[in-house]
Amino acid sequence: MDSGDELNQFLQGDSPLSQAYRGEDAPLPPAALDREVLRGAGGGGKSPCLAPLAFAACALLSVALVAAVVLAPATRGTDAPRMTPVRLYSEATDARLPSDWLADIAALHRAGRHREAAEEMRRFHSVYPQYIVPSEE
Amino acid sequence: MEWHDEDSRLMLRYARGDAGAFASLYSRNKGPLYRYLLRYVRNAGAAADLFQEVWSRLIATRSRYEPRAKFATFLFHIAHNCAMDFFRRDANLQRSLHGGDVDAHLHAVEAPEEQRPDRVAEFAEQQSALLAAIAALPREQREAFLLHEETGLTIEEIARVTDVPVETAKSRLRYAVRKLKNTLVTATAAPSLPLRARTV
Repeated sequence: MDSGDELNQFLQGDSPLSQAYRGEDAPLPPAALDREVLRGAGGGGKSPCLAPLAFAACALLSVALVAAVVLAPATRGTDAPRMTPVRLYSEATDARLPSDWLADIAALHRAGRHREAAEEMRRFHSVYPQYIVPSEE
Repeated sequence: MEWHDEDSRLMLRYARGDAGAFASLYSRNKGPLYRYLLRYVRNAGAAADLFQEVWSRLIATRSRYEPRAKFATFLFHIAHNCAMDFFRRDANLQRSLHGGDVDAHLHAVEAPEEQRPDRVAEFAEQQSALLAAIAALPREQREAFLLHEETGLTIEEIARVTDVPVETAKSRLRYAVRKLKNTLVTATAAPSLPLRARTV
């Protein structure tokens, strides 16, 4: 067989030489190389239909961030009272002015609720120990 | 005239932004390209670098891609150019290591691989007789053989990929086939010389 025949047989793809070559191991690039190339291509094998979703997610996050920055001061002002601790009733009562508190006690007496009036007077003296109640003088 | 093989279609889809098409294109071509580079430059590290460089160039030029021929001729023309750059850099390095003795360097570069045991021995002892014989072919013959075996390119397409006249490509392939066929005959006649051993 001359070299022309050899070459023609080889080009047809079924020569013993081609068969021997195809019987050899067929190494592939390492997985790390695959990842690098696919990352460089900008896809990593993702479907193109994910692109709009990614865009929408980015837009939503951006709007939320802007809203948080722009609206935050106003919202904080509105919410501020909620941050104040809830006042107990007794504290509010104890904060009453002495004249108001004594008027309330007199009202209790007039209503015949003397025990309640006595209790309120005891609490009044604990809050204003130096105060001289006119009727007790 | 436009060429429309499956790979060309995938490349066009990738050029229009379909990253999934690239994954398919890559999967179909990574094996032949990697083996071509590995067995052409005979250095696993360099082959990995070149492999990445080839794909980087393809990615960078995707918007200008026009399917005028089989996709493999486009991809392997890039690979051929990258390999040529590698051999040029390697030659410059060898020249600097030889202290400017250009004649000695050229002699070393042009010497048949069979006469350069320092370059071939390490590669050959880990391979089958056939792969060792391919590694020992002159560079141009080795490339022509690998291009045909890994991609099925015709002589005309090999000529286009390697930027040489068709007759030159044909001559290279003819010499390569003849040498490798003799290797097969020798290996078959001498059972102590395994056709397959550890391969690269």
